[in-house]
Amino acid sequence: MLTFIGLGLYDERSITLEGQDALRAADRAFAEFYTSRLLGATVADLERAHGIEIEVRERAGVERDPEDILAAAETDDVVFLTAGDTMISTTHVDLRLRAHERGIETRVIHGVTAQTATSSLTGLQNYRFGKATTLPFPYAHGADGLPSSVTETIDENRARDLHTVVYLDIKVGDETENRRADSPEPEGDEYMTADVGASLLAEEYPDLTGVVVARAGSPDPLVEAGRLADLATREFGDPLHLLVIPGHLHLLEADALVELAGADRETLEIA
Amino acid sequence: MGRRKKIVQECERLMDEPEHIRNIAIAAHVDHGKTTLSDNLLAGAGMISDETAGQQLAMDTEEDEQERGITIDAANVSMTHEYDDTNHLINLIDTPGHVDFGGDVTRAMRAVDGALVVVDAVEGAMPQTETVLRQALREGVKPALFINKVDRLISELQEGPQEMQERLLSVIHNVNELIRGMTEDMDDVDDWSVSVEGGTVAFGSALYKWGVSMPSMQATGMDFGDIIDLEQDGKRDELHERTPLSNVVLDMVCEHFPNPVDAQPRRIPRIWRGDSESDLADQMRLVDPDGEVVLMVTDISMDPHAGEIASGRVFSGTLEKGQELYVSGVAGKNRVQNVGIYMGGEREEVEKVPAGNIAAVTGLRDAIAGSTVSETDMTPFESIEHISEPVITKAVEAKTMDDLPKLIETLRQVSKEDPTIQITINEDTGEHLISGQGELHLEVITQRIEANQGIPVNTGEPIVVYREAVQRESDTVEGISPNRHNRFYISAEPLSDELVEAIQLGEVSMDMPEQERREALQEAGMSKDDSQTVEHIHGTNILLDQTKGIQYLNETMELFIEGLEEALDNGPLAQEPVQGTLIRLHDAKLHEDTIHRGPAQVIPATREAVHKSLIDAQVKLLEPMQDVRLDVPNEHMGAASGEIQGRRGRVDDMYQEGDLMVVEGIAPVEEMIGFSSDIRSATEGRAAWNTENAGFEVMSDSLQRETIMEIRERKGRKLELPPSIDYI
Repeated sequence: MLTFIGLGLYDERSITLEGQDALRAADRAFAEFYTSRLLGATVADLERAHGIEIEVRERAGVERDPEDILAAAETDDVVFLTAGDTMISTTHVDLRLRAHERGIETRVIHGVTAQTATSSLTGLQNYRFGKATTLPFPYAHGADGLPSSVTETIDENRARDLHTVVYLDIKVGDETENRRADSPEPEGDEYMTADVGASLLAEEYPDLTGVVVARAGSPDPLVEAGRLADLATREFGDPLHLLVIPGHLHLLEADALVELAGADRETLEIA
Repeated sequence: MGRRKKIVQECERLMDEPEHIRNIAIAAHVDHGKTTLSDNLLAGAGMISDETAGQQLAMDTEEDEQERGITIDAANVSMTHEYDDTNHLINLIDTPGHVDFGGDVTRAMRAVDGALVVVDAVEGAMPQTETVLRQALREGVKPALFINKVDRLISELQEGPQEMQERLLSVIHNVNELIRGMTEDMDDVDDWSVSVEGGTVAFGSALYKWGVSMPSMQATGMDFGDIIDLEQDGKRDELHERTPLSNVVLDMVCEHFPNPVDAQPRRIPRIWRGDSESDLADQMRLVDPDGEVVLMVTDISMDPHAGEIASGRVFSGTLEKGQELYVSGVAGKNRVQNVGIYMGGEREEVEKVPAGNIAAVTGLRDAIAGSTVSETDMTPFESIEHISEPVITKAVEAKTMDDLPKLIETLRQVSKEDPTIQITINEDTGEHLISGQGELHLEVITQRIEANQGIPVNTGEPIVVYREAVQRESDTVEGISPNRHNRFYISAEPLSDELVEAIQLGEVSMDMPEQERREALQEAGMSKDDSQTVEHIHGTNILLDQTKGIQYLNETMELFIEGLEEALDNGPLAQEPVQGTLIRLHDAKLHEDTIHRGPAQVIPATREAVHKSLIDAQVKLLEPMQDVRLDVPNEHMGAASGEIQGRRGRVDDMYQEGDLMVVEGIAPVEEMIGFSSDIRSATEGRAAWNTENAGFEVMSDSLQRETIMEIRERKGRKLELPPSIDYI
């Protein structure tokens, strides 16, 4: 049995009770933290809280050679942990399909993900979001300036009056498999902060309104709205951050942004 | 004021008069007497004493050159010569003749407009005569002929006027055959064959410093009969005084070689692929001293005081100290510290060097031999073609660890000075590997590291450089990224010899304007549709992008190419470079979000796809070959040809030439290691021999697996091949 468990957004207490029960009852627990991280807890914290040893796998150990995870799941109760929800913004459906190919039973225990937290914290309606996109560090994608996948996503969503969640790149430093001595990538972890993201987007959209969501799921989340060019000059504290580029706003959405995110009503595009 | 100073001043004056400048190279088969001839010219111009010319070898400045008695680096010198009542500035480059140093010859040709080809009267045109001629003609450099060692015909071989004339005419005939054959397809030159009547042939003895040509015979009234008499009587000094070699040759240079103003309009289109309609093209064609500065660097050398010196031809503008110039392939600018010209082995600083001259520049720290240095960012000169690629590699390591940083710096320097040398690091052992043109080439380089830099080094056994190439067209195969969200569909097939040659000769490159590239590709036999989809050229491999309208592929292409290059540099058999392969990208499936199609996904997917396609196209191992020519007395012929055949070689031809037998054949470079001592003992030292690199050939099937395993073992790779390689 292979159980995919979402750890939620922030620390060892963000997991659901159902997830906690499954984790504590498991024979073996694997985890990956290259797609996202829990900023409020270390692996050791998780192990202590749930009384189980957690085997962390790098990208290669999940995507290229998941053999030991699958082999263990053939005979034992194995759980696979990620931050957030295991199937959102990650690619683990591949692992699930490989398990099915080998006749291994699987199930998913959901966690809270940034996608829903964004809607919840900003007051922007879940029904009015279009495609999401990730803004990569400039050195990490193979093109000049903003990647067209980012601008096209924002433009298409806005043309249909939809909001865009812009995830900000995370580089996990221990992903060394393809790293060369002359690699421009940093050796430690690196999180793109919202001011950096806003400044990249401001090259294309200086006057658009952006909404920063920082540390969703933590005790001190922050939501702040403003012109992208202005957001680029502010600081939003510890990671993780993301940005929303709203389409035209419903009246109530506008009220929420003014009240919850400190937006200047004059600058908002209200439908 | 010293004589030398005077000459420098005169040179500086003449630099501004391009009509009176001749940029020339002397090129020949090894030991035919280039450097001795150079000394004659220098002595004639008053640069070295008359007595020592012939023994001084002023241009062989490195100690090992004077010891070995051969020229290794090309050296530069400027001199003046009065012809037709006008003083001329002659910039001369002496070039090495040994095949291992061919890169220097090619680079020297880029800087000059005329090539004085020296041929030994006794030996006649030899294989390297052909090579240097080809190198010259390909660069659009006009040839003239000097037949050397004529004294030996008279004194040693006791030939009479009739015999001598026949022999000389046959040398001229052979050289002309070569020239005609090579210029046949060049529509930018007229008849460049040489002739006695036309004054483009001179004869003489560089050792005894006399020479004649048709115009000189008319001027001095001396004919062959007089010369034979004087030579037979041992009156060589009189011969030298009455008809000095330097005058005869330098007159020929002034009369028959084009000056920069005549040469550049023809040569620029041949050697530069930028926009021919631009102002810059005009300035270069017109040798405009007021144009933008364009310097083509042909050589980098090290001066203990001044540091690195870049020498090369100024095609346009005027080089001056303090200029900030771009160096091709490098971001930012370099500042010119000093400019100068060469006088013998020494450099003389001057105020400025205008277009049409050969300059020596310090301060261009990023330049390597072959760089284009310019005032504005421009299309670089097409990369100088090296007729032979590196074929042999040796590991070098410092005997003491303390010398390691110095060794690394020296190796970097060596590869800057001589781009035919490649330095790589074996990532597993940390050893430095140096690759070059032959055993001697590497031996000289390592000796210089020890002698000049004082770094004691250990060197490994020489190792041959292999290649991998496909034998048939593959099916379309799939490469999948680790996250399985990205997939590439490609096929591989052999590239035609015509296309490979077009890439090697620089007739096709990604630096060219697209339209021109398409035409060149079609001319070399590529279909029109294919030529429109060329996305990248790496080595002699071409990538075609034949996908249609795939979203985000343009964002991903750079990573795809990175993966492609990595896969081609390290072939699937033995991690040797892949050559002559056409890769078609048919289709791609990409993840919506950039983050899931980053380097960690795309590069492995590309590598997998490329290697799968190469294996499906039955990639095989190729080894470098050498043409071998042996001149041996009849009684040793059997032993000599046995030496070739015993080395997995093939004898293609045997024929009588004079009193010697000539054996021509081809053999693998690997087997030729140690040939020099073996052939000496097999023929009691009576064989003269030459080798020329002859490209790569597929190894016989029976040796493939064994050799691949040897290489893999050496590289510390797994000793089993993927099961899909079942055809070896």
